[in-house]
Amino acid sequence: MNALARHRRLTAIWSSEPGWKGWLSTVNHSDVGRMFIVTAAFYFLVGGLLAMLIRAQLATPHSAFAGPEIYSQIFTMHGTIMMFLFAIPMIEGLAIYLLPKMLGARDLAYPRLTAYGYWCYFFGGAMLLISLVFGIAPDGGWFMYPPLTGRIHSPGINTDFWLIGITFVEISAICAAVEFTVSILKYRAPGMTLGKMPVFAWYMLVVSLMILTGFPPLILGSILLELERAFGMPFFQVELGGDSLLWQHLFWLFGHPEVYIIFLPAAGMVSTILPVMASTTLLGYRWVVAAAVALAILSFGLWVHHMFTTGIPHMGLAFFSAASTLVAVPTAIQVFAWIGTMWKGTPRLRLPMLHILGFFVTFVIGGLTGVMVAVVPFDWQVHDTAFATAHLHYVLFGGFVFPVLAGIYYWLPLVTGNRRFFRLGEVAFALIFTGFHVTFLAMHWVGLMGQRRRISTYAPEDGWTVINLISSIGGFVLAFGLAVVLIEVVLNLVVRHPAPRNPWNSGTLEWAIPRPSAAYNFASLPRVSSREPLWDEPGLPARLARGEGYLGEAASGRRETLMVDSATGEPEQLVIYPANTRLPIALAAVTGLFFVSLLVKVYLITPIAIAAVAALGWRWAWQLGSKQDLGDRLIGHGVAVPTIAEVSRPPGWWGSMFLLVANATLFGSLLFGYAFLWTIAPGWPPPAFIAPSLPTLLAAAGGAVLAVAGLAIAGRSNQNGGTPVPGLWMAVAGALGLVAVFSMMLWAAPPATGHAYNATILVLGAYGLVHAALTSLMLIFLLARHRAGYMSQRRRGELAIVTVWSVYLFGVTGLVVPAVYLPGLVT
Amino acid sequence: MKDLLRIVVSPVVWLASFSAVYALHGLVCQLDPGAPGLPGVSGSRITLIVAFVLAVLVQTGLLVLLSSSRFGADPGFTRSVSLMSGWVGLVATVWTLFPTLVTSPCGW
Repeated sequence: MNALARHRRLTAIWSSEPGWKGWLSTVNHSDVGRMFIVTAAFYFLVGGLLAMLIRAQLATPHSAFAGPEIYSQIFTMHGTIMMFLFAIPMIEGLAIYLLPKMLGARDLAYPRLTAYGYWCYFFGGAMLLISLVFGIAPDGGWFMYPPLTGRIHSPGINTDFWLIGITFVEISAICAAVEFTVSILKYRAPGMTLGKMPVFAWYMLVVSLMILTGFPPLILGSILLELERAFGMPFFQVELGGDSLLWQHLFWLFGHPEVYIIFLPAAGMVSTILPVMASTTLLGYRWVVAAAVALAILSFGLWVHHMFTTGIPHMGLAFFSAASTLVAVPTAIQVFAWIGTMWKGTPRLRLPMLHILGFFVTFVIGGLTGVMVAVVPFDWQVHDTAFATAHLHYVLFGGFVFPVLAGIYYWLPLVTGNRRFFRLGEVAFALIFTGFHVTFLAMHWVGLMGQRRRISTYAPEDGWTVINLISSIGGFVLAFGLAVVLIEVVLNLVVRHPAPRNPWNSGTLEWAIPRPSAAYNFASLPRVSSREPLWDEPGLPARLARGEGYLGEAASGRRETLMVDSATGEPEQLVIYPANTRLPIALAAVTGLFFVSLLVKVYLITPIAIAAVAALGWRWAWQLGSKQDLGDRLIGHGVAVPTIAEVSRPPGWWGSMFLLVANATLFGSLLFGYAFLWTIAPGWPPPAFIAPSLPTLLAAAGGAVLAVAGLAIAGRSNQNGGTPVPGLWMAVAGALGLVAVFSMMLWAAPPATGHAYNATILVLGAYGLVHAALTSLMLIFLLARHRAGYMSQRRRGELAIVTVWSVYLFGVTGLVVPAVYLPGLVT
Repeated sequence: MKDLLRIVVSPVVWLASFSAVYALHGLVCQLDPGAPGLPGVSGSRITLIVAFVLAVLVQTGLLVLLSSSRFGADPGFTRSVSLMSGWVGLVATVWTLFPTLVTSPCGW
């Protein structure tokens, strides 16, 4: 087969459906990545428009441009959109598009999950946008502090849109994080060890793990606040044993890492682009990776520095002040590595480089003001002033938007196949850089003069008029510059001006594929021996196109790629992907129905939506696997590996492990909340503890043991060529027993509106019940799969996946039951 | 996966010990801030200092393990990065929990 015939055959296998239907059914990472990027760019425009409204309002004193109610919606939605609907989805989109190409794979680990994540984002974002259009948008600030956002002070639906819409959107981030983690660890080109991974992949691996552990506290907080608003469960009401500070802890457990979740991918882009612009390799690759890991984990120890003014003892303040200063060290290591890279190489002042230089200046200033606000007495002075707003814009715009603009210009030839023709980008950069600094340097200044955040107006005698006017003029210049970027990108799409295959002479694999990128990425998969394979072997693209890599035959007619050992990069499994399907959009739609039913409080629809999610989830999993043993398959170069249906750790096992990391973080946050209320909130201990009963404790212990032991027996029997059915039924009995235990726990719980303790017991019981029911469903699914012929001695992966969930249920039971019953037992 | 664990273990243990000492601080201040200890040093401060020292010892132990040929990674990329992150864990523990020695435990 020649290169052209191979291209045609692979294109037929991997392409999405033609026309508009293709948008609804595509699961290809390039398509979904582009959809994410375009949608996120749309929200950037909306958020930018809102920013302009803010600046118009503040340009003059006593402005009547918008009343305080509408102004509150505008600044809340500006922050919400920029954080949740622009920055994170833009990262997701760029990584979805780029990662498989950089890693030498044909797609991400779970293509249908990629599409599901997109549609959750699409529908969730639409919910928030609709609220904005109808004037009922969230108005409690982007961090939604109760008691302001409680039912008493915010009785409308505005806050509910935020709590429910953002939780819906966050499903998308969790999906993407699981996807990236597994893809980076397991879906790489053969030979690509951890030390040979592109540095962007390292950054995205770190960020994905951060999303898995950073987002769940906010999801939990949103659930608790919505439960308080909808059903009166007083988690944040002091008079009933709650504490509004619990929200701040949960929010900032998410919120501070969120800043680094946004910054680190951008830093990954800088670490990728800068060496290419300087025609050299990244100085201190190992130091940069270690710094990224350190920065990510240290960032989880800073959350209280957003709460310095809430009345925390001196030692607590000192802990978080120290941690906040420490985080500057790994950041500085990266900055010095970038400076050293420029020193080592011969920098070319091309357009991406201009934006990187803009990033340096802006981000370093933002970092330095960050060290200033880490110092407690200074923070007390500037807390909730425009200085803090200016600081966060220096960090986020400087640390994210400039690198993203550099990335857009750098990778645009890969996406469109064209190079720039009109050269508007340099003008745009000048406008953006100047406009940004005029806007936000002025904002620092006016903040130091005492202007608070979120105020809708001010008096002329405050002395802020001229500075605000300068800031507003700068804001409009900035907006004009961004509009020029948009025009240039559109022109690049429509004006044919072909770019060469590797226009920047980069060494990474994304430039080894046809441009614009083909649906299958690589006609055959490369074997790599360094971090810059294209510099080692300039003829690699042609060799891959000729099918001289792995999987060059496309013999099966199905979408295939390879899974490798995470450390050595040696091929382990042959992945066969599902094809185009509308299942992701359908599942996202019924997931949306669930959230809408909660929003409009039509709870009759909620169980219908849950049943629909379960039914589609069943169908989703049913489409995988095989009814026959395929044996080891040749993948080229004389290597044979088993298919993913015939291994003990298939992709679903890896995905489950990382999803459970997020799940365990949510559960851990719930236990933290329980302990926090118990020790800190007034009104504890509660009037009465739930009474334990011996039969319940025995049933819980028996159910948990049966659920795990049954699966162990089933696994061993299957491994020995016997039937797993008796063991599976045993596990089903155990899981259903736990359903009964947790149902009784909920039944016996005191009224949840009476005290935060009662409400917490209810949530703990519900958490256990959901997991017991889910594991039961999975076990029944396994029985059905066995009956249908999908399991054999060799095809054992599904058993391993359910075992993971069953062990998790065991752990949950072991923590929920004592948490609920132990206080009643010892008092 | 073992290599990845080697790279993240020390900073993750720092995070756990940092959070645990912060929680312990909340607990001792809530329960009995004036608990008797040694002359001139309250019981709450002694508790926190012991936790600090334990955290430092754990980090030191981890660094020794990561440097050893038995538990450490093979020479190369993972070994370098895991040792760097091992030092990050140790330095972070000393720096961020140092306030147990010098600031008032439960003062406002």
